[in-house]
Amino acid sequence: MAKNNLTAQEQATLKKMFLLSHLVFISFSMVKMEANGFMMTMEPALEELYADNPEEKKEAVARHMSFFNTHAVPFSFVAGLAYAMERQHSEGKVDGTTIENIKAALMGPTAGMFDSLFFNCIRVIAAGISIGLCRQGNFLGTIIFILLYGVTQSVVKWLLINTGYTLGTSFIDQVFNSGLIQVLTKCASVLGLMMVGAMTAQMVSVPLNLVINTTGAEGGEVVIADILNSVFPGLLGVVALFLMVWLIKKGWTPTKLIGLIFAFALIGAAIGIF
Amino acid sequence: MAGAALKICIVYFLLCYIDEICLSWQCLTRPIVIAPLAGLVLGDFRTGIIMGAELEAIFMGISAIGGVIAADATLSSVIAVAYTILTGASITDGVALAFPIGTVLTSVNNLSMSLISNPMAAYWEKLAQKDLKQFKIQNFLFAALMKLIPSVVLFISVAYGVDGLNKLLGTLPPFVMTGLGAASGMMIGVGFAILTAMIWDQEVGIFFFVGYVMVAYLHMDTLAIAILGAACAITMFFSNKRLIDMKNELLNAGVKTAENKNSEEDFF
Repeated sequence: MAKNNLTAQEQATLKKMFLLSHLVFISFSMVKMEANGFMMTMEPALEELYADNPEEKKEAVARHMSFFNTHAVPFSFVAGLAYAMERQHSEGKVDGTTIENIKAALMGPTAGMFDSLFFNCIRVIAAGISIGLCRQGNFLGTIIFILLYGVTQSVVKWLLINTGYTLGTSFIDQVFNSGLIQVLTKCASVLGLMMVGAMTAQMVSVPLNLVINTTGAEGGEVVIADILNSVFPGLLGVVALFLMVWLIKKGWTPTKLIGLIFAFALIGAAIGIF
Repeated sequence: MAGAALKICIVYFLLCYIDEICLSWQCLTRPIVIAPLAGLVLGDFRTGIIMGAELEAIFMGISAIGGVIAADATLSSVIAVAYTILTGASITDGVALAFPIGTVLTSVNNLSMSLISNPMAAYWEKLAQKDLKQFKIQNFLFAALMKLIPSVVLFISVAYGVDGLNKLLGTLPPFVMTGLGAASGMMIGVGFAILTAMIWDQEVGIFFFVGYVMVAYLHMDTLAIAILGAACAITMFFSNKRLIDMKNELLNAGVKTAENKNSEEDFF
């Protein structure tokens, strides 16, 4: 609909920006994070809008070289939006600080939303399906992963850079105030959690190898792992997982958890329970 | 060994660079993509694929914690595959080694980030002001350089480290490998625990167990679970959306009577 209203010039710029928007993490640093990537993405837009206004261009470059950080996919949405705002700015309708403020305001919410959608949902599903195939030695799994996770990201980026440009700022108020974002996040969580649960059942194991001989006679051995599994399959794995969730919520870092697991596993192996 | 190291190094460099400049974020550098390709150039595609699955599971949640990476999934996957194929070790042993290696190698990228990337920030700002074309070219070159550093580390570790690692492991008592094997089963749990801790909220938490039961009791495929999960999520989305629409309609009705003005336009 609205896309048809774009001029050839606008379409060409958006296309260039889309290709460049894959450079999100180029020259990433802790100081400016994605600033270089954002500048690279904005370059075609600035060249177009400020071709014969070097002073304005300098200011715009400074705007887009400032600290920026969000998820790789909504990155292109913000870029499209920034292009729309820069156009208005070149026509004297929006001032520079507004652009900076809107960029800054969008970092948190977009990152949160797309982390839950892509990182915690689509990626987990893609990996879940692919791991199943690859475990049988089927390379198709890898291809499916690239299609489901990588190519999807690119496609959504293309849609979002156009959406950002055509809808402009009015759209943001609408979406963020309507409460739909929270609903979407929650629904993505349902799907993500189901996949994590499924994969926990498939893959997490505590290979307990403890046998207790209750009667002392031959054949009186009781395999502890079998008893636990007959109560609830993979009980130890689930218990271990939620123990870790609890520790993470208490502020443990992954590195610390891994250290704990190594110590536990090595001591366990030394005394013969694994 | 050096020839194999060079081959694997090129695969690593290319995938990392392509991932950064054209395909989307953290797709080609995931173990499930890089391990099979590393296996392919080393002449054992199948081992690479199977290890890719195991390593992906281990590293699934690890990169999630903001900014700080506990273990470098990409480097350690490549080295684990190289170790397994070049020494003929079992897949289980190779996978068990991946994590300790990854934890050590994370420092390579972290160091080059803090020593090179962070101080560069001011330079980029000046360059962008002066010459945008140069800015673009130098960024592409810089990205290549930043991938070259871990590639060289990878080359050295595979060319000179694999034999040493193999000898070292030979001298250790057998319970160490049993312990490492047991640890890798639990380590997969770390990734899932991080994900669970991130997503968990009381309202939807129970769906973890729905997924769990589908595998543990019903032995279903992941794809089947994904479809059922999508059905749940979509149903939930629309029923919630309806509530929100209703709420907004009520609010709008209030506005309309107050201002006596048609606000339908704002919707489109």
